[in-house]
Amino acid sequence: MTTNIRRSAITVAAVLLALAAGLFAFASSHSTSVAHGAGLKPALTGAGQNLFNGKRGGTLKVVDSEDFSHLDPGESYFSLDYEVMYSIQRPLFSYLPNNTTVAAPDLASAPAVITNGGKTVTVHIRPNVRFSPPVNRAVTSADVAYAIERGANPNVANPYFQPYFGSIVGAAKATGGPIAGIQTPNSTTIVFHLTQPTADLLVGALSLPLSAPVPKSYAAPLDAKKPTQYGTSAEVATGPYMLKSDATGKFLGIGYQPGKSATLVRNPNWNPTTDKRPAYLNEIDINIGGAAPVIGRQVLTGSHMVMNDTPDNTTVALAYQKYYNQLTAVPGAGDHYVSLNNSHGVFKNVNVRRAVWAALDRDAMVKVAGGQIVGQPGTHFITPGTDGFAQAGGYPGPQVPWNKSTAGNLAVAQTYMKAAGYPSGKYTGSQAIKVVGSNNGNAPKEAAILKSALTELGFKVNMALVDQSVMYEKYCGVVAAQIDACPEVGWIRDFADPQTVLYVPFYGPAIVPTNNSNWGQVNDSAINAAMQKATFTVGAGARAAAWANVDKMLVNQAVAVPWIFDNQPNIESADVRGISDLWNIGSWDYSYTSLK
Amino acid sequence: MSAHASAAGPDISLGIAGEDSAEIVARSPTALFWRRFRQDRVAVASLIFVVLVIIIAIAAPLVVKILGLAGPYVQNPNLTDAFGQPLGPTSAHPLGVDGLGQDVASRVIYGSRVSLEVGIVGTGLATLIGVVVGLLAGFYRGWVDTVLSRITDLVLCFPTLLFGIGLASACAVNGCLGGTIRPGVGVIIAVTVIFGWTYIARIVRGLVLSLREKEFVEAARSLGASNARIMYREILPNLAAPVIVYASLLIPVNILFEAALSFLGVGVQPPTASWGQMIADATPIFNVAWWYMVFPGAALLLTVLAFNLLGDGLQDALNPKAD
Repeated sequence: MTTNIRRSAITVAAVLLALAAGLFAFASSHSTSVAHGAGLKPALTGAGQNLFNGKRGGTLKVVDSEDFSHLDPGESYFSLDYEVMYSIQRPLFSYLPNNTTVAAPDLASAPAVITNGGKTVTVHIRPNVRFSPPVNRAVTSADVAYAIERGANPNVANPYFQPYFGSIVGAAKATGGPIAGIQTPNSTTIVFHLTQPTADLLVGALSLPLSAPVPKSYAAPLDAKKPTQYGTSAEVATGPYMLKSDATGKFLGIGYQPGKSATLVRNPNWNPTTDKRPAYLNEIDINIGGAAPVIGRQVLTGSHMVMNDTPDNTTVALAYQKYYNQLTAVPGAGDHYVSLNNSHGVFKNVNVRRAVWAALDRDAMVKVAGGQIVGQPGTHFITPGTDGFAQAGGYPGPQVPWNKSTAGNLAVAQTYMKAAGYPSGKYTGSQAIKVVGSNNGNAPKEAAILKSALTELGFKVNMALVDQSVMYEKYCGVVAAQIDACPEVGWIRDFADPQTVLYVPFYGPAIVPTNNSNWGQVNDSAINAAMQKATFTVGAGARAAAWANVDKMLVNQAVAVPWIFDNQPNIESADVRGISDLWNIGSWDYSYTSLK
Repeated sequence: MSAHASAAGPDISLGIAGEDSAEIVARSPTALFWRRFRQDRVAVASLIFVVLVIIIAIAAPLVVKILGLAGPYVQNPNLTDAFGQPLGPTSAHPLGVDGLGQDVASRVIYGSRVSLEVGIVGTGLATLIGVVVGLLAGFYRGWVDTVLSRITDLVLCFPTLLFGIGLASACAVNGCLGGTIRPGVGVIIAVTVIFGWTYIARIVRGLVLSLREKEFVEAARSLGASNARIMYREILPNLAAPVIVYASLLIPVNILFEAALSFLGVGVQPPTASWGQMIADATPIFNVAWWYMVFPGAALLLTVLAFNLLGDGLQDALNPKAD
């Protein structure tokens, strides 16, 4: 009896163990085929897409993992926000989806006129563009002037106001009131007087959402609140669409539920004769949230859907392998890098920053992001397709020791740790590295690779993963938060000029306490001086050389660790005729996209 | 004394020492427990499994080395395909790899450490606090009981999971209390202890209220024993059985709690291996990497199941009247 009981017990134990072992054995016998990347044919790039001849009508469903950062044209500075901004607002100039180099007149009726040796810019605006309800009236040049002036209002705190609009007479000390250098001689003319001959730069910046008109009578009470409530709770539109709103223009809780959804409907006051956009769709329903792989599959297998933020690598693989025509991977779509805090803590030391650069396995970072289809290892900062890229080193980048191996080289890294005063080649101080990354899509894996590199260098790492918008707004973009490293901050040029790649993220005086895009708080006097010099350089070739020189200085100082030159992947359902904004990472443009 | 108790007939508290022996001897409580426990083949099997898991957890580095596996934190992008998707089981990686090219088998093995750390340490500390509180409240009654019982009620009101999520989220970046509280095993254990002692305290209090009126306690008191001695030497041993049973059932609850927090991203932080975190990472890519979810899931399922069955077996063996 006792023997039988023992035998039975052993049998039951064996069953439990066998279950575990069986799974182990089953797994061992079922190997998976390897599909390495050699010889992959390129994905579609969106080049040559037909912008017109779409079918009118229908509702496009958009799924995004991430929420918007700002829906105010004065604050918006995020690629996801831009897709809404350029559908509901009309800046003076904007890029056609296929054009990455020259912005066309949008609210403006003709190209800007530059006079006075590049110190005066005159723009005429179309007379028959009207605001959406409840404002309803025609847009005037005064509305454009107010839109730009409010960028300097601390309650709005436009992040690129000083870099691009700071040369307007009186703008340097502006706080939201009238700026002397902005004049509106009549209702359809606006004139900018500059302190420096930087008209080209200003004209380029007039393609940004800040130049979209804002009616002072409507927005001023909202702008008086801190932060402004214009674009947060209420807004009026000039584009073909508007956020679904009540009679007062309030959209919060109606056309936008933070973290949940947004709805764009037709702007009843939009006049198609004044606009180049075809605006085929009747409505755009945007659903916010959901795991990237899940919503990515929904788009690929579903109907009338697009995804407008970055699909994860498994979705890219699925799209490439089974739904090839539903994927575009747009080159020259910016870059991503690891920001290192140049102004605080252990990363103030240039050799420690070089060590991190050398140790980071950038090949692995690209791999977890989706492999060669979605980009190439980053080696410097000016991105492909932008003037100065080749002069700055092209794809291989500057051949400095810490940049030579994109696979990460611990031995090289340790030489820089030694140079930084750590004889063992490993960090022996007491500071724990505060890392804040995104928890969306591939980002956690990218953060894990950074953490591994830092750990190899002896650092203790405290890492937190949060929603991407929170990462920027609460941590990486807030100077006081003193975050040491952000693994996957990304940058897309603001317009077709190398200055727009380097100036805002690396120019010291451009650092602002919040909504800061100089995430590493880079403030190097030599780099600042070189940027100032490059800013006033005239001529495309000369500017490219000047900014390439700045790029090399940034690499030499290892101010951050670039890890990917992005080919932004975008996916759509089979019955969507998506049009990619090639100037904005190829995101789907709601004003041109139609349903099949 | 025990020889005459054979009149109790089938009472399993007594037994025959030997077939040929005329002498009837008593079995110790431990021997009786073990005799009953051995008869429960499921419980014995669960015990064997639990012991095995504990051995694996303690000797994880050795086990990984013996099996010839890559370490749990070794990232190898060459083990992913052209799109960075994890590759499935191979002879070198019998349970496949994850999206970072980390060996799933070694991460499952190391994951057992986190689970058992939380399960056993958390339960141990919670049990200790619960027994002390319940003992004091039940023994002293009066205002001591009132205060301790109200504190117990108050703690019971907290939604533990939400508290854990909130604490871990709030302390995620900068830590709390000067950086002493950060998401990780420590915080999870702290939460399981802070909220786990209450149930044991209630059970113990109820038992002590009854035991303190028993004759043997009266006898000890009449012999001049101090309160501390009565609690420690007379009452506490009588609490062992129910406390052991409850603690054994609390272990899987705490293991699941850790898994839940890690699944929600507020528990153990990567790259530390945790079954819950692995399941969370694997969920969205189950269609392309089934192994990544199945193996940590199976490890979690079998371990929790084994602890639960073991707890049931202990209850049956320690408290046969419960049948």
